[in-house]
Amino acid sequence: MSHILLAALTLLAPAPARAAGATTLVTGGDLHVGDGTVIKNAAVLIRDGKFAGVGGPELAGSAGGDVTRIDAAGKVLTPGLIAADNQLGLVEIDLEGSTHDDARATDHPVRAAYDASRAFHAESSLIQVAAVGGVTTAAVAPAGGLLSGQVAWVDLVHGDHRGALARAGVALDGNLGHSWGGSRASALAKLHEVLTDAQVFRGRKDAYERAQTRPFAAHALDLQALQPALAGQMPLTLTADRASDILAALDLAKEYKLRLVVVGGAEAWKVAGELAAAKVPVVLQPSRNLPSSFDALGARLDSAALLAAAGVPVVIAWLDDSHNIRNITQEAGLAVANGLPWDRALRAITLEPALAYGQGATHGSVAAGKVANLVIWDGDPLELSSRPTQVFVRGRAIPMVSRQTLLRDRYRELDKFVGNKSSSSARPRPDTGTASTTAAPPQK
Amino acid sequence: MSSRRLRPTVVASGLALSLLAACTRGAPPQPPVEAAAPAPDAAGRTASPAVVSDGPPRLFRNARIMTAAGDILERADLLVVGGRISAVGPGLAAPDGAVVVDATGKTITPGVIDTHSHLGVYAAPGLNGHSDGNEVSSPNTAYVRAEDAYWPQDPQIDRARAGGVTTAQILPGSANLIGGRSVTVRFLPDARSVADVKFPGAPYGLKMACGENPKRVYGDKSGPKTRMGNAAGYRDAFQKAKEYERTWSKYHKDHADWEKNKGKPAPAGKDGQPGKPPDEPQPPARDFGLETLGLVLKGEILVHNHCYRADEMSQMLDLAATYGFKIRSFHHAVEAYKIADRLAAAGTAASVWADWWGFKAEAFDGILENAALLHAAGGRAIIHSDSPTGIQRLNQEAAKAMHAGRRIGVKISDDDALRWFTANAAWALGIDHEVGTLEPGKRADVVVWSGDPFSVYTRAEQVYIDGEPVYLRGTLEPGTDFELGYNPGAAPPASVQPVPSTMSAAH
Repeated sequence: MSHILLAALTLLAPAPARAAGATTLVTGGDLHVGDGTVIKNAAVLIRDGKFAGVGGPELAGSAGGDVTRIDAAGKVLTPGLIAADNQLGLVEIDLEGSTHDDARATDHPVRAAYDASRAFHAESSLIQVAAVGGVTTAAVAPAGGLLSGQVAWVDLVHGDHRGALARAGVALDGNLGHSWGGSRASALAKLHEVLTDAQVFRGRKDAYERAQTRPFAAHALDLQALQPALAGQMPLTLTADRASDILAALDLAKEYKLRLVVVGGAEAWKVAGELAAAKVPVVLQPSRNLPSSFDALGARLDSAALLAAAGVPVVIAWLDDSHNIRNITQEAGLAVANGLPWDRALRAITLEPALAYGQGATHGSVAAGKVANLVIWDGDPLELSSRPTQVFVRGRAIPMVSRQTLLRDRYRELDKFVGNKSSSSARPRPDTGTASTTAAPPQK
Repeated sequence: MSSRRLRPTVVASGLALSLLAACTRGAPPQPPVEAAAPAPDAAGRTASPAVVSDGPPRLFRNARIMTAAGDILERADLLVVGGRISAVGPGLAAPDGAVVVDATGKTITPGVIDTHSHLGVYAAPGLNGHSDGNEVSSPNTAYVRAEDAYWPQDPQIDRARAGGVTTAQILPGSANLIGGRSVTVRFLPDARSVADVKFPGAPYGLKMACGENPKRVYGDKSGPKTRMGNAAGYRDAFQKAKEYERTWSKYHKDHADWEKNKGKPAPAGKDGQPGKPPDEPQPPARDFGLETLGLVLKGEILVHNHCYRADEMSQMLDLAATYGFKIRSFHHAVEAYKIADRLAAAGTAASVWADWWGFKAEAFDGILENAALLHAAGGRAIIHSDSPTGIQRLNQEAAKAMHAGRRIGVKISDDDALRWFTANAAWALGIDHEVGTLEPGKRADVVVWSGDPFSVYTRAEQVYIDGEPVYLRGTLEPGTDFELGYNPGAAPPASVQPVPSTMSAAH
């Protein structure tokens, strides 16, 4: 992003904000780094949108003069939260199809080349709502089909059309189970067919161009899009709930040397040992404890605790509609209430999602060199009483406003509205159709 | 944490003796003086019967007791006799034969009440065979009743009970302008039919729905296709109900006249001969839908109106005034904050979520401070679920709404927020003379929480209905028929780890 553009955005911002080029020092407070360590009375130095230094009071002293200092004494600092597997910026209103960009509309189950980053809308109202709740990064996933497409890694810089995208294609997203072809066996067979075709395609692109190959089960662009996953360069995030589907996914990953991430995982706890042995992370929503389908009869509130105890990397996500991804804090708290150690719960919404999507080098913890996504909380970030007092995205203190806070402020006082002004206190009753328009006279 | 007064809430009454005398099996000697007879409430309703359980007296000791009636008592006791709350206060004596529950370090609240649930009519798993919540055959199905579809073996009920819910209104869905009668049930375990769990004496509710759902469902069928069609549908229904009521009124009057004149000689005809006695007037045809709407017009059935937008709620208040009925509560009401003053003036409650928004156009303007701003305007706020997962944590949803309000300076006490999912909900369902607060005379629907009910880390540990345990974490966890045999060899529940002290000290 150009600094000129950033400066322009800064001018447009309704509250004072620091450009990414500036240096900011946040001091005081307990810093939960994200990897489990805690630094008391911490100092976090932010420069050029990155963490330039993380330490204690000694760092605060060495920061130099031209620095914006932010006092976080008595507060709690965490990395910016990361919301895994959602449709942020792809869907504005769920029930309005005209606002959907989350799926390639086709009957074909393989849409591997569908790139969510191309559809992402940086001005979506959901972005600020999530960001002022502490979410600074989202793994934006396409939906639908057997292989839905490419996941985009987005920092929640509202309104920055050129800059919000951190990385396109960080994962390949798909669905297992009763998702296609009338049977999970059909779905698995199709996945095998496509992955095999993609392997063949990789070695025979020239022959393909000369039309000297057998027909493939998917378009060349989709087969090409599968290559990074087959090469282990990006994970395959597969939604699967039933234990048998998760095992099938493990087998598939082993056969094709895929880096698997299980999403949903209602019954993952039943196969926790195998998941741990294969080092496969599970992205789950702890509140989903209902036998809502025959694929999820084993759903339970303590899944996260059981998985973590077995050594499975746990990512906590909000998998319902993306408007409330801010609630990953409550979900993490719920996991704690049901047995997950607190530090693992915080890790499950910071470092673990970064690692699961292969973005641990830049995201997920407060460490020098990483993207400066940081949240200052007024209390325990998992507790219902807490809110961020300031959120930094890419080193920038974002305005703590959203469409929701603007609505709230507009209706905070109702005196100004028609009907409440003294001059118009006699509000005419609208014609709602009187009850006595029929021939029969009203009865007593 | 503003209003924690230490004041025992004890009503002494001469009726205590008769209350106890009626306690047959294992009848205990009378407790000191602190027993209460149900007192008539403002509407003149008296809780009855005085004894609703033949279980032993139960004394909860040394708890933080949040009454939802204005008091939060530290290290207090709660005594249950005959299934009703007998006394609340410090240092209560245990009657002979009483079961004493040590609740040291725990918090006790009234049982949670959800004004908006589809448990039992949209049961889990979500199968076609379980889809019984929307009678999508006509936009006005005032003639159907949720109770005719309620399946007490829905596994979701177990989870809700484990979340402290003792009572819920089960509503028909929102596909129809007028969806039918709701039923208020108690989440008693071991029920074999809806009759086993219907809340005794609770009025019926009528489910109505504004906005997008009816026009979406019927737009390609018979209509309504627009909000114009929706409003026309309500007017048509209530106009017909008025006419139906008139027909019956006329019949009752004619019949009374006929009864009065039955023995008298008929007036002479033109020929001077005695006339033929008049035939007995015959009743009009009974119409269950119009009868239901007629009971709404008489105020005997309470209207629960699914309605999101402020303009639409305003219109519905006007329409109700025109036809002479009250809307007891709007449901979902994501824009209640825009008309908080009008809702307060109308005496219409708003059942809302803490933070749901954006899933449809009419939900786009949802804000976190919705309940708080309604409360601030003097309105009656209620936190509802409409969700089989949300119903398990109404206390947490209320906490989010409470804190959102406090952050912008709205004064909301813990007791106020507690009322959002207890006393106010009871009022909306017309059962506030029986449940919703921990006051002497009320049914002993009680939750024992592991800690502050507004903390994310707190769980319901014990749940009681009429003073009898219906859920005890780890020892009494009722299961439904459906889940028998599934999940063989399931792992035991994970043990809970303490939250770091640095965190609990941080706020």
